[in-house]
Parts: sequence; C-alpha cells; structure tokens
Amino acid sequence: MSTAPPNPQGPAGDVATQQFVEQWRNAAYNCYSSGHKFCREVCPVTQVTRNESWTPTAFHANVVAMEQGELSVEDVAADFVNCTGCGACELRCPNTLFTGDFYRFRTRTVDLVKAARALAVDRGIHQPGWRRWNSLTDERRHEPVLGETPIDQAHVADWADDLDLPIGGETVLFVDCEAAFYRTSVPRAVAQILALAGFDFGLMREQWCCGGPAAEMGYLEQAKRFARHNLEDWRAVGARRIIVLDPHDYITFTEDYPTYFGEEYDDIEIVLAVELFAELIRDGRLTPSVPVERTVTYHDPCRLNKRKGIWKQPREILGAIPGLDFRDVDRVTQWSYCSGGGGGLPVEKPELTAAISGRRMERAAELEVDTLVSACPWSERPLSAAGEDRGIDVVDIHELLAASLGIQVDGRSGR
Amino acid sequence: MSTTAPRGLTDEVLSELRDVVGEEHLLVDKPARMHRARVPAPFPVHRWARHVPDAVVLPACTDEVAAVIGVANRFGVPVVPRCGGTGLTDGAVPLRHGILLDVKRLQYIGDIDTENRTCVVGAGVNMLKLNEVLGRYGLFYPDDPASYPCSLVGGRIGTSGWSLIGSRYGHTRDLVLSFLHVLPTGEVVRIGEGGGQRISKSSSGYQMKQLFMGHQGTLGVATEATLKLYPKPAAEFSPFWAFEDYDSAYQTVRALAQADVATFAGAVLFDEQKVAYLRRDDEAYIPQPAEVRALVCSALYGNEDEVTVGARRLMRVARSLGARYLGDEISQGDWAARHDRYATPLHGRTKAGQAVPMSWHCEDAAVNWSRLPAVRDSWHRIVGDLRARSDVFDDWGMFAYTSARTGVDYLTEIDVGIWEQELDDERWEMWVQAKREIARVAVAHGGSISACHGSCREGEVDVVPEELGGAYEVMRAIKRTLDPGNILNPGKYGLDGAFEEDRT
Repeated sequence: MSTAPPNPQGPAGDVATQQFVEQWRNAAYNCYSSGHKFCREVCPVTQVTRNESWTPTAFHANVVAMEQGELSVEDVAADFVNCTGCGACELRCPNTLFTGDFYRFRTRTVDLVKAARALAVDRGIHQPGWRRWNSLTDERRHEPVLGETPIDQAHVADWADDLDLPIGGETVLFVDCEAAFYRTSVPRAVAQILALAGFDFGLMREQWCCGGPAAEMGYLEQAKRFARHNLEDWRAVGARRIIVLDPHDYITFTEDYPTYFGEEYDDIEIVLAVELFAELIRDGRLTPSVPVERTVTYHDPCRLNKRKGIWKQPREILGAIPGLDFRDVDRVTQWSYCSGGGGGLPVEKPELTAAISGRRMERAAELEVDTLVSACPWSERPLSAAGEDRGIDVVDIHELLAASLGIQVDGRSGR
Repeated sequence: MSTTAPRGLTDEVLSELRDVVGEEHLLVDKPARMHRARVPAPFPVHRWARHVPDAVVLPACTDEVAAVIGVANRFGVPVVPRCGGTGLTDGAVPLRHGILLDVKRLQYIGDIDTENRTCVVGAGVNMLKLNEVLGRYGLFYPDDPASYPCSLVGGRIGTSGWSLIGSRYGHTRDLVLSFLHVLPTGEVVRIGEGGGQRISKSSSGYQMKQLFMGHQGTLGVATEATLKLYPKPAAEFSPFWAFEDYDSAYQTVRALAQADVATFAGAVLFDEQKVAYLRRDDEAYIPQPAEVRALVCSALYGNEDEVTVGARRLMRVARSLGARYLGDEISQGDWAARHDRYATPLHGRTKAGQAVPMSWHCEDAAVNWSRLPAVRDSWHRIVGDLRARSDVFDDWGMFAYTSARTGVDYLTEIDVGIWEQELDDERWEMWVQAKREIARVAVAHGGSISACHGSCREGEVDVVPEELGGAYEVMRAIKRTLDPGNILNPGKYGLDGAFEEDRT
C-alpha cells in the first residue's frame, strides 16, 4: 500500500485530523475507487432517507475530501450521525467479500464512523442529543433510558428484587441499561433460565453502563473510564466469566475492552446467553416443553448476525420450542434489515429509527405473523412501537424460551 | 444563450426551489453538494472540487421534478439529473454547476399487474430490491448490469443500460415499456410505444422511446417507468469453461451464441490478460494449471425442460471446440458472484509488483465478433503504452459479452486500474488521450464507442462526432429544439456547440 503523505494542500494544522486521514486514506480510496456502492441498498439509513451523504461510501469519501482540504470534520460531523453501526455495508462490500482475506484487508465502516465521531468530540464538536445523553450517563452511571424505574445506581438491580441472586462469584451476569431499567422481563428470563439449568452466577457489586454507547458516539474517555470501573468490579468479586444478554454489550466486551486493556483482559471469558442456551438445549440440559402457540418470525439483531456471524443459535432455540409456527427469513436477506436502534441514532434522530423499524415491521407483516422475536433489547422498543400499528407483538427470544420452559417471567416487557 | 452559467444561485432561485421541495429537501451544505458530484472514479478524483453543484434538490414526485425544471428555465440555471450516480461516463456529474436534481426519493413500487406482467416504479428504485418484491408474485425484472445491486431504474433509462442477460431478455430499452418524462422545458409527457403505457410494439407516430433513453440527462428526466416483467426463471445453468489460448475461447463464444438455444441469456469471454489479472489473488483461478489462459462462461435461464436440453447442447458445442468444464462449484459460485468479483481496487499493482489501491475503470465498445481480436490487440497496446510510461496505470484485461442471441455484436471492455492517489494533471492528460485512441479503434472497426456506458466522458466524447457523422448534427438540432435554453445537463456530449452556432 502507498505510504505517500496526504496532499500538502490537505487538512492544515490540525494534527488529529491529519492522523485520522492518514489512518483511513487507503481504506477510503479502496471504497471510493471501486465505485461499486453495493453497500447502499443494504444500509438501513440510506433505505429510508435516500440521502447520498448518508451512505457508507460517502463516509469513506469524506476522508478523501478531508485529505484534499475540501471538507473538515466540522463540515461532516453531523452526517456521521446517520449510521446505526449495523455492519451491513461491510459484509456487502466486494472488497471484503472476495479479496479481503488475501490482502488482509476488510472494509470497516463501523470503525471509521466511530473514529470520525471521536475526532469530532476531540475537536469540540458535539451533537446536542449525544452530549446530553453521555453527560447524564456519566452522572448516573447508566444510560438515561426512559421508563418507570429511576435511573441510578440504587435501582440497577431492581429487576432482580425477588430472585435472590448473590453478588459476585466466578460467573457474573451483566445486564445492559435498557434491560435493567426498561425491559426487565429480559434479564428476569435469562436469570431464571440460568437457575433452571443449574448455573451458579451472581451480579456485580456496582454495575455501570458498559461504555459502548459512549464509544459509539465519540466520547472515548468516558467509555474507557466506565470500562475500567466494570473490569475492576469483576476483579474485586473474582469474576472470570461474564454472561451478557445484549448484543451491544457483547460487541463492547469482545471488541472494545480488549483494545482498552490488552493482555490484562485475556483471562476474562465473555459468554452470550443465546449461544449458551442453544448449547444447553443441544446437550439436553434445557428442554422447552410448554407449547407456545404463536406465528413468529425472527429478527436477526445486526450485532449478532452482521457483526458476529451469530444467526444459527437463535434459530436452534426457536426450533426447539413446541407450538411455534416459525416463518424464517434467511440471514443474508436480513443484512438489509435493522431496527434503527443502534449507534446512537435513536438519541439524535428518533424519526429515522422509527422509519427503519417501520420498514422492518413491514417485512414481518408480509409473512402474516403475529409475533416478531428479537434477541436484542435495544431493538425491541422501536420495533414494538412499529408493531403496534400492525398488531404484531415483539417478544424477546429469552422471554419466549422461558415461557416454553414453564417459567413465570414477570417484569416489564414493554408491552 | 451563454454556454456557461454563472456560479452560485440567487436567493430568489433558492427560495423558489424551497417552495417546490420544502426546506428539508433543498441542500446547500458543501458535503451534500460534493457527494452529488461523485461518480465511480476516475472523473477524476483530483479534480472533484471543480464539478460541485450549487444546490441539491430531492424531489418526491414527478410534479416536483417538473416544477424544479420550471424554476431552472425561468432563471436560466443548469439542472443536472442524478439517479444512482453509478454510471461510467459522468452523466451525473454537473459540469456547469447549478441545480443537482437527485431523484432517489422516487422509490415507490406500485401497480404490479400480474395479468399483463407489468409494474410501475419510481425512478429511484433499485432492480435487486424490486426483484425481492416481484419474487413474491413469481415474477422478475431481468435488467442485470454489473451495478445490479446499486444502480436505479431512472439511471438505466437515462443511460440506456446494457444487461448481462440481455441476450435472453433484451436490454433496458426493451424492458422499459414507457415512462413519464419531464422535458427540458418542464412539461411532463409519457414516452413509450405510441401513446400506450403497457404496449411493447406500436407503429403510431414517431418512435421516440429510444431518443429519450441514453441521452445522459441532456433531454430531460424520467421519473416513473412501466416495466415488462418475466416469470422468475425456475432453472439456471451457468457453465464456466477453460481454454489454453484466446483463439479457442474466441471461437467457442461465437459457437455458443449461434447454437440457437432459446434460453441462451449470454456468454462472456475472458481474455488472457483478464485471467492473469484474476490469478493475482482469486481462489477460483489460482489453482488452475498454468495452461489455462482464457475462459468462457455462459448462462441459460428459463423453465426446467428447456434449460436442461439447452445445457446439453451448449456443453456439446463447447467440448467440440476444446473447452474444459471447470465444474459446478466454480461455475455456480462465479456466476452468482458476477457483480462482485471482477474488479477490485486491491488487485492494483505497480510494475514492480507492489500492491496499491487502484480504481477500476472500464472502457467499453460495441463491436462485431469478427473484429474482436483486432480491437483487443489495439486496446492492450494502448493501455500497455500507458503502463510503460507510468505506474499509475495497470492493464486488468478484457471481457467480451454477447449483446444478442444471434451473436451479431458484442460488448467488449478493457478494464484499467488507475492509482488515483498518484494521479495528477499530466497523467490525467495521458489517460484522456488514451481514451480518444481507444474510442477511435472501435469506430475504425465499424463499431460504436459504447454498448453500455455512454460516451460523454472526457476523451471519448471528442470522437462522438466522428462516429455519428451527419447524425451528430441531427442530435444537436434535437437538443436545440427540445432544450432551447440549454438548461439540462449543459456541457455533455459537446452539445454546447449547438448553441454557439446560434449565437454566431
């Protein structure tokens, strides 16, 4: 690859911008030059806005324009809001699909968007909604999700009040902010399934937000500070294994934390509840037997399907639940599906999130289902809102599995 | 009439545009304008800033498009239509700035008529997404360019697109039955066969459909199209064969096209340089023995009964000419990946073998079978000379594709890697001169400068009057008549010249 320096007429003075451009220029030219734009029709934001500035190729082209000195991060910071971090564009990129392995190159739009947002914050450019959100998160240690439970440390484990869960131990269950404060039926289902399968696990002494949302919105210092707190809390209670139920946490713990902590983090094992439960069903340690009479389709959460390649296990779980009429849509078709709930989009552009969820729900309605099953709490609120208009219920896969295991879940399901 | 519009738009123009499309859909910020100047490289990237429009409008319906063009006419401001922006001849690049009319929001799919097998779509609809919907009705729209996953119906009309499976189903001009078209003066008319919306052949009146396709936005804007649909094919056969030399592959591709198999959708010839290029990293071809130097693939689409017997016939024809079948796995995989596989910036190499990120550029022409070898020799010589003079250029080999089932003519293309990061004015001039030479070769061999992309990019456009002869004067007269103010996409196809004559 070329090591030629950026255009001398390019970004002047600002070292952070120059470093950003230098880091991303080859990736930007690879995208810009190929001219394929195959990412466009799978991009959830592009699908609903048709705005060419809000496409994965535009995000890469911005780097070229910055190198040329034509645009600055001030010019494009607001455009970089328009990404849910779903990763569809990376999968659909011909450079990744066919030659990436050979050249050890991968199109990394999600990382590019995160880096651009961090550069903006570094340069003092803030999006009002994101600034407020992160400031409140910093203050309360949890994201300011809307709901009936007050958002503060005293209430982070209210969802488990009657479940008699210990603190600490070798295995800890981490519950994301949305599930801990809003859709409490999800952690209740997960905790009770774990108990049924005979798992010993506890909660953290003091769980803070994972820091992933702050990192996605560009507030890196805060993200790292929250991560450090959580790691220290795990260490203090002797935790070696962290069970997560939220795909966003799973990304944060398996992608962000290793870059923050390096070798120090090597002995921490991150376990995704959906994968664990599929394995337990396979091994006969969980046997769903209560029929669930619903006609369902499954929404592949972007961070599982598109970013982690996890699509099989949720289908194994659904396949094991008696009574379901399961109308599946393959994982590749679902590359272009999204709830719009990720990447901070609902904080800055709730109307886009609603449009994206509405479009996803249209696809579900075409299958004539009564229920859309998801495995991501952050998708479930916007999808539920979209489902209300069509009489389609949104149920979390853990809730559904718990019901089929005869567990009385309780808690708030957002319905 | 001035051939160069003043830069910038007055507040009055902006205010009228705002009245038409609403505040939200009038964009004047620089990133929005820069992104609507961008098409696949090289246009060229190092001169990106020269082609930025003054404002972008995102209309939602035909009436809004017509009103925007009305505003442009009243104020004498250039207006450049843009759909997917994936074309390879800069049709969507605003050479004279002005208003950029982006029609991507026209993305509705309506009126799927299963009885007559037609549907109505907005110009901003993508074919792959359309086929996802049509599939539920057992139908499909077989317009299949290399940009199938991203190009849009409106752009296919504006460029008169070419389809990979056009030997079976026809090309965009055959598949679009009619369309709503906004003329350069702002009137909306239906263009089709006679006055019919869903008629595929009429003899009533002048035959205008082809005139209003492929004009690269110089004669107006298509906003809504009525499309001819086919049953979704139940069977597909897509064999790939290997050859030891170009000539055997060349003979085979003709024999396949002339085998008179009704389900024949196309055949593609990969020349020796193309196979060498793919071998740089392609897992399908690296394991092939060194004596594999050329490839041919073909595709049959249709019902099971006909495809099965057609496949047998094609296999027999190919074998008789020395072809070696590459097996089902490579054949099916490569055909399925046909839109993704064959041009990647990562394959770029300097002469010393250094991998550098190169843009893909493709020069195409329409040529008869008998002239393909001579055109191929000349084109490789031209690109070889470029590469000898500069590491910015790389020869990525050639394809030849059947355009029709009789084998009458072929789309041939040479793919050229261009290292944009190192491109400067001097090398750009080298490239433009090479494009002129490439175009002249096609014309000298009785062909046409382009079967697919159009011919209004720098370099090739200079050769268009030579190709068209007296018909070029007709083209200028039509432009003058339909767009007296030279409002629509001015500067393209040398049509400014038509207005200069008026002034003198």
